[in-house]
Amino acid sequence: MFGLTFAAPLALAALVGLPALWFLLRVTPPRPRRIAFPPLKIVADLLPQRQTPARTPPWLLILRLLAAAALILAVAGPVWNPQGLGAGGGRNALLVLVDNGASAAHDWRARMRVATDTVAAASRDGRPVALVGLAEPSAAIEARTPAAALERLRALAPRPHLAQRAAHLPAIGAFLEKNGGAGLVWISDGVAGVETDAFTGPLADLAARYEAAPTLLRADTPPALALTGSEGAGKLTARVLRAAPNGRERGTVRALDQRGLPLAEHDFTFAADALEADAPLDLPVELRNGISRLEVAGERAAGAVVLMDERGRRRRVGLVFGGTSDQAQPLLAPTYYLAKALQPFADVQEPRGAKGTAESIGQLLDAQVSVLVLADVGAMDERTAARVEKFVDAGGLLLRFAGPRLAAGNDPLVPVRLRRGGRNLGGTLSWDSPRTLAPFAPESPFAGLAPPADIGVRRQILAEPDGDLPGRTWASLQDGTPIVTAQTRGQGRVVLFHVTADTTWSNLPLSGLFIDMLRRVVALAGTAAPPTDGGPRPPAAILAPRLVLDGFGALGSPPASAKAVAADYGDRASAEHPPGFYGPADGGIAVNVLRPGDGLKPLDLARFGAARTGTLTGAETLDLRPALFTFALMLLALDTLAGLWLGGFLAGGLGRLRGRPAALALAALLALPLLAPRPAGAQEPPANRPNGIESALVTRLAYVVTGDAAVDEASRAGLTGLTQMLAARTALEPGEPAGIDPAKDELAFYPLIYWPIAPGRPQPPEAAIRRIDAFMRNGGTVLFDTRDGLTARPGAPPSPEALYLRRMLATLEVPELEPVPPDHVLTKAFYLLDSFPGRYASGETWVEALPPAGEGGERRPARAGDGVSPIIITGNDLAAAWAIGRRGEPLYPVVGGDQRQREMAFRGGVNIVMYTLTGNYKADQVHVPALLERLGQ
Amino acid sequence: MVATRALAADARNPGRQTREGAAALAARMPRLVLEARRVSSLLAHGLHGRRRAGPGESFWQFRPFVTGEAAARIDWRRSARDDRLYVREREWEAAHNIWLWIDRSGSMGFSSDLAQASKVDRALVLGLALADAFVEGGERVGLLGLTRPTASRRIVERMAEALVGDEGGLGEDLPPRAEPGRFDEAILLSDFLTPPERIAAAVREIAGRGCRGHLVAIADPIEETFPFAGQAVLHDPETGLSRDIGDAGSWGEAYRARIGRHRAALAEIARGSGWTLTLHRTDRPASEAALRLATLIAARGAG
Repeated sequence: MFGLTFAAPLALAALVGLPALWFLLRVTPPRPRRIAFPPLKIVADLLPQRQTPARTPPWLLILRLLAAAALILAVAGPVWNPQGLGAGGGRNALLVLVDNGASAAHDWRARMRVATDTVAAASRDGRPVALVGLAEPSAAIEARTPAAALERLRALAPRPHLAQRAAHLPAIGAFLEKNGGAGLVWISDGVAGVETDAFTGPLADLAARYEAAPTLLRADTPPALALTGSEGAGKLTARVLRAAPNGRERGTVRALDQRGLPLAEHDFTFAADALEADAPLDLPVELRNGISRLEVAGERAAGAVVLMDERGRRRRVGLVFGGTSDQAQPLLAPTYYLAKALQPFADVQEPRGAKGTAESIGQLLDAQVSVLVLADVGAMDERTAARVEKFVDAGGLLLRFAGPRLAAGNDPLVPVRLRRGGRNLGGTLSWDSPRTLAPFAPESPFAGLAPPADIGVRRQILAEPDGDLPGRTWASLQDGTPIVTAQTRGQGRVVLFHVTADTTWSNLPLSGLFIDMLRRVVALAGTAAPPTDGGPRPPAAILAPRLVLDGFGALGSPPASAKAVAADYGDRASAEHPPGFYGPADGGIAVNVLRPGDGLKPLDLARFGAARTGTLTGAETLDLRPALFTFALMLLALDTLAGLWLGGFLAGGLGRLRGRPAALALAALLALPLLAPRPAGAQEPPANRPNGIESALVTRLAYVVTGDAAVDEASRAGLTGLTQMLAARTALEPGEPAGIDPAKDELAFYPLIYWPIAPGRPQPPEAAIRRIDAFMRNGGTVLFDTRDGLTARPGAPPSPEALYLRRMLATLEVPELEPVPPDHVLTKAFYLLDSFPGRYASGETWVEALPPAGEGGERRPARAGDGVSPIIITGNDLAAAWAIGRRGEPLYPVVGGDQRQREMAFRGGVNIVMYTLTGNYKADQVHVPALLERLGQ
Repeated sequence: MVATRALAADARNPGRQTREGAAALAARMPRLVLEARRVSSLLAHGLHGRRRAGPGESFWQFRPFVTGEAAARIDWRRSARDDRLYVREREWEAAHNIWLWIDRSGSMGFSSDLAQASKVDRALVLGLALADAFVEGGERVGLLGLTRPTASRRIVERMAEALVGDEGGLGEDLPPRAEPGRFDEAILLSDFLTPPERIAAAVREIAGRGCRGHLVAIADPIEETFPFAGQAVLHDPETGLSRDIGDAGSWGEAYRARIGRHRAALAEIARGSGWTLTLHRTDRPASEAALRLATLIAARGAG
């Protein structure tokens, strides 16, 4: 199958003509050069010495011959490694069957490549091609031109449901009958589906009957994995399926929530030769309720995705209270306790606008709740009682709480026979003290929960001591009287708490145990509407498709062919009902490719034994024609250039470039943008472009990149110097300072942002101001440096920097400011300071004004407000004083008389950073003695 | 392969760049102090002071009146200050004229890759630089057939203006008919790609009244070496003549022999009139030729 063949070998005969071409080209020299030559007029009488033209240069000759040879070869149509499929088939039609069901997505590209090769081979042989995607709806098959088939092939995509291959058999039969001797190629995924294979055998029969030459192309073992999810015993189990052992022994099942964020992962491993592997996902109910999708990580196929709907999620719990509906004290109502306890893991519904218990219960049952909670509901009318009974029989869970009304009534809907009235413990007329719960029995659903000792039950309803009472008791008091009983009725359960749901009878509803107990009880509830398994049923609601999986397992808007399903649809997805979410977001259902119990079966290829088979990794066919044509074209272009050059025409144009190096440089310059496409953003200053993760991990100082290169460099060097100083002197070791753009970068990582004012730059955009505003509100500190300590004078007109800052802060909510008072905690945060000099010492430093000191209070050395001043304004050009070079040398001279001004600037910087990080810590009373001692007072 | 280039007419006029180049070259040259030849006091005065009293314009000294002198020579203003009479003497100043001619015909507007500048550029730079240097040295410089000799400080600009104004000079292959004075010097800057007879006639005419002169033949390197090979068609930008020379390699040998004879004829012409011939190739720096010319003129003056 390997080798080089030619589509039109006769064209190679033209190669014979090359020697003739050689001779012709040899005697046709290029044009003579034209040379401007002033001395010609005095030597015009010199005769030409040799008029016979020079020969064509040999390299040019070879160039032209190569071009001619490449053209001839290209016309002959060479193909490397042609697919041998069409070789024996003559000009008969070719039927290409492509598996594109849910199990085909995994190796879809390989399958597409093989299909393209097959169609291309047929195109070279000029065979008409019919293309059938086996997961598409069945239709009559027609042979088309290979080009049309190729187009159709490109439009083919894996479908998100299992292929119904057998449906295509009649059409295939009709096609084979019409086109006798047609070739048949089946590019298969090797998975039969859920049922046993009903396609391979009949197809082999058809092929034999119509003498079609079948070819089967498939991977050695079907590589696809599929996933089903099942729920049992309160646990979610993902089951990974494969059709045959295929070497993919291990992997990861991932659970995602509605927004695609992973909630849990579990590894799975196939036992040797096993076709199923379980991945139990043991999650808290809250997390488990959030799962909307399970998938095999990295599989990218619809079959490897399980969508989870509301049916598997939060139980819908209906609350009915038997007391008066208009509660004067709603916070003391039993439903309040219940709703609060249930809300974390259940969808609590209360009747809306219903009058009376019966109407409430009817309304909730209409809403298809799965748990019905009746808190202190006494007698019900017969219709309601019958309805509730039916609900329980059908799998519903009835949870009742005792109360005065229940104690007074006589009700069949309780798990045990009850004594009328109740039992008082620890009352004024009782000898007993309130009882607490006994440890739960191992067979109780509450097993494992530890009842706290401080639970006291003051009153309860007692059960008649029947023989089956112990079996129905889930929890009891220390004296053995049941406190929670339950009974299975039909498919459902009735559970009774022998106390009220509020605190009148016990303090159980106040304990955490109550929530855990409710959670366990609710987890036992079945689904209100079990999946249909056939049989006449009342028509359920019709749900339209909302989000639908594509063949690769990605959710998207539903195609036009997707049809609505009934709300109790429980079947596998099909072409009409693709897998996805149906119905509204809060009450819809999910349709999956597979049902929970399904398994995958491989194709039964025994009947297909006679067919030729191949693998998907088959020969790579390479059509050499385009490459040869391109080569010839390039050679001809080179030849033209060479001719121009020999004729001296290029010299004029390139002469000005002073020879070849310049031309090469020009070519390189032109080629540069092709070789290295650089985004415009790459031009931004390389200075520590903040990376969110890094900034989140390390405390870093930040400065605002103004766009003025000198100012930015000073800021960077300054904060670098301060960072080193902090690391050397304090316990804080900040990371490399970050240059940020407040409009783009996340500010939340930085405790302190240094903002030098560059009046020549445009004002920051509104978005940046808003983000700075939010930053300041949320506890960040911005240090504005107007850097005008030298020029600004009190009383003089404001400097351009001050004007710029004033305009910038106009829309910010800036607190009242004051010059740093001598007792401000900023002056005590690390060093004891009087002022905050920078490069200049004359500027004032402003912070948020402190609340006035208490009148009579003792005088403290340090005073602070509630938080950290969100804004510090200085004019001393702090960064320039802190700025150090690479060798640690200061970069800018300080202006001022004090020898220690730079040291003081560093101390001020350390104090500012410490202040932003520790807040009013140093103003605490604890530090007063130490401060007073250091201050020498 | 060597590329050649012919300049259009307007590119053969001196531009700003040429003038600046000339000024720079002149500044680099040693200050020329030319010994004036034996010239009579009848010659026009120049700025060239002789450090002795004589006819001139600038003050030299007061000397006591000698009886017998013409009374008109007494400087009454000085004499009024005391009892003696004084005569004001002026410094003896003399100058001589140097005439320049710069060929700007089509054949001059030519350069090849090997040259540093086109021939006309080089000729203009050389000529203007020499003019500037001579004026600095106190001589007067004029353009042959175009301007009168002057000693203006702005000689470079004035000459450039005169050249730009002279449209006819762009087509002239030989110097115009002019007869400089006896002790003048003429400098002809050209490629002298004209039949030797015509050059000889022109030189004889200029040298007719005893004017000394210097021929500066400016040549592009490829005009000397002809480094071409292969098929070529030669094309003369001045006359529009075009000639297929077949294989350039073999034709080049004949050409080199012919151009050698032409140069020999030029040297013969110069010697016949007592002039000098300087061959300058444009791949050499301009200062080389400028220095040689300055030296020649200075030596001539001394002799």
